Amino acid sequence: MAAVDSAAEFEVLTTEAPAKSSRWAKWRRRLPILLPAGAVAIVVLACFVAPLVFPIPTPTGGDVLTSRLPVGSPDHPLGTDLNGNDILSRLLYGGRASLIVAVAVNLLGLFLGGTLGALSGYLSGKFDTVIMRLLDVLIAFPALVLTLAVAQALGPSQRNTILALSFFAIPAFARIARAATLRLNELPFMAAAQLSGTSGWRMLFRHIAPNIGPQLLSFMLLGMGIIIVTEGALSFLGLGIPRPAPSWGNMIFEASQTMSATPIQVVWPSMALLVTVLAFNLLGENLRSRWSSR
Amino acid sequence: MSTVEQDLERGNVPVFDREPLLQVRNLDHTFTVKGAGGVKGGTVHAVSNVSFDIMSGEGLGLVGETGSGKSTLARSIIQAPRPQSGEVHFRGQDLMRLSRRMLKRARRDMQMVYQDPFGSLNPKWRLEDIVAEPLIGHDTMSGRDRDVLVGELLDRVGLDPSIYRKRRPMEISGGQCQRVAIARAIALNPALVICDEAVSSLDVLIRAQVLNLFEELRRDLKLSYLFIAHDLATVKQISDRLAVMHLGQVCEIGPANRIYEAPRHPYTRALLDSVPGLDQETGRARRPVPLQGEPPSPLDPPSGCRFRTRCPRAQEKCATVEPVLTDTGDGDGHQVACHFPLDPPDPSAAPATVPRTRSTRDAPSADPS
Amino acid sequence: MNLNQTVNQAGSDRATEAVPRTGGATSVVPGEAVLTVSDLRVTFTGGGRTVHAVTGLSYQLQKGRTLAIIGESGSGKSVSARALMGLLPPSAQVSGSARIGDDELIGLPDREMRKLRGTDVAMVFQDPARSLNPTMKIGLQIIEAVRAHQKMERQQAVERGIELLRLVRLPAPERRFHEYPHQLSGGMRQRVMIAIALAADPQVLIADEATSALDVTTQAQIMELLLDLQERLGMAVVLISHDIGLAASYADDVLVMYAGRAVEFGPTEMLFGNVQMPYTQALLGSVPQLTTPPHTLLPVIPGQPPDLRALPQGCPFRPRCASATEQCANTPELTEHQPGHWWACWHPIGDSDGGTK
Repeated sequence: MAAVDSAAEFEVLTTEAPAKSSRWAKWRRRLPILLPAGAVAIVVLACFVAPLVFPIPTPTGGDVLTSRLPVGSPDHPLGTDLNGNDILSRLLYGGRASLIVAVAVNLLGLFLGGTLGALSGYLSGKFDTVIMRLLDVLIAFPALVLTLAVAQALGPSQRNTILALSFFAIPAFARIARAATLRLNELPFMAAAQLSGTSGWRMLFRHIAPNIGPQLLSFMLLGMGIIIVTEGALSFLGLGIPRPAPSWGNMIFEASQTMSATPIQVVWPSMALLVTVLAFNLLGENLRSRWSSR
Repeated sequence: MSTVEQDLERGNVPVFDREPLLQVRNLDHTFTVKGAGGVKGGTVHAVSNVSFDIMSGEGLGLVGETGSGKSTLARSIIQAPRPQSGEVHFRGQDLMRLSRRMLKRARRDMQMVYQDPFGSLNPKWRLEDIVAEPLIGHDTMSGRDRDVLVGELLDRVGLDPSIYRKRRPMEISGGQCQRVAIARAIALNPALVICDEAVSSLDVLIRAQVLNLFEELRRDLKLSYLFIAHDLATVKQISDRLAVMHLGQVCEIGPANRIYEAPRHPYTRALLDSVPGLDQETGRARRPVPLQGEPPSPLDPPSGCRFRTRCPRAQEKCATVEPVLTDTGDGDGHQVACHFPLDPPDPSAAPATVPRTRSTRDAPSADPS
Repeated sequence: MNLNQTVNQAGSDRATEAVPRTGGATSVVPGEAVLTVSDLRVTFTGGGRTVHAVTGLSYQLQKGRTLAIIGESGSGKSVSARALMGLLPPSAQVSGSARIGDDELIGLPDREMRKLRGTDVAMVFQDPARSLNPTMKIGLQIIEAVRAHQKMERQQAVERGIELLRLVRLPAPERRFHEYPHQLSGGMRQRVMIAIALAADPQVLIADEATSALDVTTQAQIMELLLDLQERLGMAVVLISHDIGLAASYADDVLVMYAGRAVEFGPTEMLFGNVQMPYTQALLGSVPQLTTPPHTLLPVIPGQPPDLRALPQGCPFRPRCASATEQCANTPELTEHQPGHWWACWHPIGDSDGGTK
């Protein structure tokens, strides 16, 4: 590090400095983040706002008389399913359920797992050893088997789905937070803070949290995709959100029963799942590379 | 003229009249190195049996190569982490025996400045918050008083508070970061500031500015320094006394003037000879004389004197008997750990550091007509 | 007349001296020039901004000589060397010329450049720990370098590798050949890096802060080794350093760079014995001396290193310079004011009338 100029230094000089760059260049740099963020926003708006604004039939309690209507039917643009429920409606309400589960699980992971990991990394010693061995045990189980076992034990409900999936999310967040905190511990400002008499809680919330936050946040966005898929799998197996309430996993399961007759019905929830997961993943990944380049 | 008289002439109080601010006695700090697969790989005696004093208002320069344990020593003094054994008396209190709470109070008066300017500051914080941190951690000062003081501190280290207050570390240069770290270190008006390679990563011009800042602060605030660097030139300005560390041990300690003029330990001599110098008047370079051999591994230090494998004066005794720090008899606290120390300077002979000219093959260009 | 004679004499005496050239006006001393750099320019563009890293750098380097390029971070000393090696990232635009023998190094496609790296010009970097592959035995890494330029049987390459390690005076080369980089000390790793750089007998060796990460004791060893090798192999060496004492101790000629420009040039003792450019003076003054009494303040200049995105008009050192005047808004050219001694300044030190020249 001794007083050297290098090409890399100039690279840094040119990559930041947005001051005078043209408007187009600025937008182009932001595109990898704006595009997936836009997709996520559209999905969220569609699932949470659209049913309130537009007259959309309820997702359950459909009439058997109007079951299995084809795509493009009046009042049912995507048709209806075996039970006569509007597929578009189920798609939107199902997305709502999937997103709520994913956000809840990730927030639990972020706060519980993140705090546990950061504490573990900061305090080190015995606390660290105990916490990490406990989490190791959880991680050692295959994720799906663990969630299945918990879901089975608790019984299917939205709350229990969240709890089951958290068993899988919290250790992952804790690991990431701990590793990031350990790296932070090496930096002299942490030692300087100690000399400054900064209290443990201030260390955790003012020094550690803002520095590991971005990393956890991008991990959380990547986690959204994973959780949505896993929730889908749980629901598909009948251990997630109890049917007939819609969720994308439930819809895929139901459509798969009538696959030979109406194959198109599998496509809708699958596409929704694919697009949402992809958007979250891209957003997380691009934010991560943006933040790490600083 | 004795050094004591010189001290008096410079307006400094003679050393023996003063209460030591910091007394380090027989300090030991060892690490267990993990080998492949987490197996115990060996023990490193990073600091072994180190003792020294720092008087109040005094600058002690500490030099040594990579792996000499100088940074570990600094961390051992502030008890982060606590060393294995020994005593660290700071203002009469043994820090080794203090409870966590008492230690926090004692640390109020000792601060540290680190090598990495950017790593020293939390990248997410504004400079004013960084400087205010020790004021919040140690004091119950009102927010308004704190703001005023932070402004004064930034100003004191040469940063205009109206410009820099709200900036963040990434928006300023390395030299400015180091100034902020210094402002934070002096915020509580400490008695001792430990500088661990604090200027080593700065460019020459900025390094000179920061060195001057340290010196000015010493004069104005009566600070004491433990100033750590890997070369003798850097610590020259701040050092009243000098300690040279080699592989975890102090091999020579004493008044800086005396050691720079006439070192007694061959290692100190080698360090002095390794500094490439330039006479600013004549433009003549003093070409370094390289020390032969590789520095020994701290995992497996040589028996007896740890310097003997590279020492031009080494004899059989050096391999068997470990030399201890012994008074040179100069009467000014100059101590050396060597069986065959270099001769004290002969007053009739020329000074020890004769500028050496460049080798003969450069003769044509060395003679600008 | 007298002056002219001195010039000629100086020229013939130092036929092997490096000489800079300004913009095209050639005043090249005939000699065996190995490396000729002329009007080298490097800019980095990105985010709508341009960073002028190197601006119009010209110099010549003769066989068997050492040229030190000194300056602070951002002075362009390192970037200019990387430009010669073709090691700059794609965001860099390089123009100008750098010739070694008949080979033009600037603007070469990557494949062509790879052939010249090692044979024409080789480089030793600052950080030997990161320049070596930690998962490969050092012997393999040397063999790789040897065989990259010469078709050779494996056994022959092994012998050549050990010979190279012996050349750089690595202790117990046969044993070290089979060790990994982490088993070597920093100084030994740098010796290995030098051995790799020498694998194809380069004509020019660039040492980019090659000793900055090492301890002073090891630094002296490595510098002695470099100079000894240079003498034996007849290479030209470019020594890039921020350490003015190091440059003065080991280089034949010194080129001082500031903000991407050469600001002073001359044979080492002539330059340091009679510094003209205030920036060089500032650099010289800021080096702590072993002989000054403690608690003496160092002579410093105020200000921060230049922002290469927004350089002032004219002399880049103007904002920090005590003797700057309005005239300095015009860029001073690097000119040979005294035989062999070049500087780019309107108000050189010792120019008491402070006026125009």
